[in-house]
Amino acid sequence: MSPESAEAQAAAGGTIALPRPPLTHEDRDRSLDRARVHSARQGGRKWFLLWLLIGPGMLAMLGENDGPSMISYAATGARYGLGFFLPFIVVTFVIAMVCQEMCMRVGAVTHRGYGQLVLQRFGPLWGWFAAGDLLFTNLVTLIAEFVAIRIGLAYFHIGSGVAAVLGLALVVFTMSGGRYWRFERIVLGLAMFNGLFLIAAIMVKPHLGSVAHAMVTFSPFPGGSLNTLLLLFASTVGATVTPWMVFFQQSASADKGLTPRDLKQGRIDTIAGGTLGAIFGCAALIAGAALVTHGGASIQGLAGAGFPGALGKLDGKAVGAIFALGLIEAGAVAVLTISASTGYAVGECIGKASSFNNAPRNAGWFYATNISVALVAAGIILIPGAPLLSIALNANVLATVLLPVTLVFMIMLANDRELMGRWVNSAMLNRVAVVIVAFVAAAGAAYGIDSFLQTVHLIHG
Amino acid sequence: MMTGSVQPQTPANEQEEDLVDFLEPDQLAVGRSRPVSRYPLTPHASFWLWVLRVFVLVVSAMVIYTFFVQLS
Repeated sequence: MSPESAEAQAAAGGTIALPRPPLTHEDRDRSLDRARVHSARQGGRKWFLLWLLIGPGMLAMLGENDGPSMISYAATGARYGLGFFLPFIVVTFVIAMVCQEMCMRVGAVTHRGYGQLVLQRFGPLWGWFAAGDLLFTNLVTLIAEFVAIRIGLAYFHIGSGVAAVLGLALVVFTMSGGRYWRFERIVLGLAMFNGLFLIAAIMVKPHLGSVAHAMVTFSPFPGGSLNTLLLLFASTVGATVTPWMVFFQQSASADKGLTPRDLKQGRIDTIAGGTLGAIFGCAALIAGAALVTHGGASIQGLAGAGFPGALGKLDGKAVGAIFALGLIEAGAVAVLTISASTGYAVGECIGKASSFNNAPRNAGWFYATNISVALVAAGIILIPGAPLLSIALNANVLATVLLPVTLVFMIMLANDRELMGRWVNSAMLNRVAVVIVAFVAAAGAAYGIDSFLQTVHLIHG
Repeated sequence: MMTGSVQPQTPANEQEEDLVDFLEPDQLAVGRSRPVSRYPLTPHASFWLWVLRVFVLVVSAMVIYTFFVQLS
């Protein structure tokens, strides 16, 4: 019906149906997914419904159990053994679950990504600040992911060139289908191999009494230099809650097509992802702790293939190989999710199509950004002599330092009644969220300020 | 009551009409790209956002400076 004939009918007092806009490729793919969700819900198939709706939460949480995080956990275990940091990992995952639930809820209710909402709701300046933070931390983190793949492959005597090509090939392969569902399921399948760290932890035969004692008492509290402790404290927080997770889960929830009716399954997805993430993260620390009395604290970078090599010498080649495969998986999954979050953020901020449900020719910016950041990061790891462990730990610290601004806007969006209607945060959740922001800001600032003052010789460590 | 003329349906666009019913209007690409209105930030809120912004930038600069000094 033409607009003119519609107006004529309206003038004649008839009820008219406005013409619907033509469905895009993105709409068709998303509606096919929603049709399956509708069918499962109507048929009362609860488990199948959950299977259809899980994804963004698991990917964000297991994606954050990335290369630098697992190296950071193992380094903490190797230096301090089982103690305070083991239950602290669980605490940081609980923090992550609170933050990521908000992202999922905002994405499901508004159907828009974080970058788009911050830009449009608070203005271009704040939107571009948020995207700038993300681009910077993502690039540093992506370098660290390729480093992790390189460390893992080095155990099998495979060079850094293969690490770069493998990561890039995965990015191109997962995006090639022009379908969110395909991307999500491939990465989800890969992410399950994060469980290799649990197998490695079991194989080093930890003393279960010590694990239980540490979990319950948060002790022994580590000694040593305050600055090293602050670095590990900040990098452990940064290993669990990061800006890219906020961007990714909100945008992926919108891209997947979640709606307010799916909030229950979205929460299960987030909690299940966080629980698995905490178990596998603790497992990496426990595996690393096997090295505490065997010079684990001195392990740096690729020397002797790092942690996998040291574990292999101590507990047999199989443990080393499993830890190395775990690092390859952790790096690979994070390369996929972090590049995706960069693609979403840039597409949303410049107002271009940003969905895996779009064909590359219709969402050029999204796909080009996705590949470009991975390409730059892959190129950097080919530079010989890079301080790999230091890059990995500092990537997490930088993420912690920049996170408070991202979280403040997240909380503001989750409390925005005009956008969220009745799905705004509860008063209790807001109190918890404010404590989390203060905690994260303090964790990042304490290390940043202490390190700086030592570097310029104003204080001594 | 619908009194307007009805377009003849072909199997393809009938299927599309069925599919679109599974999406909320805001889930369509055209709905997702529609801008949302600006949030009325108070001067007080803007001030504290800037304080936080400057704080994280200063601390980030400290972390980056320390990283490079430690490298050399």
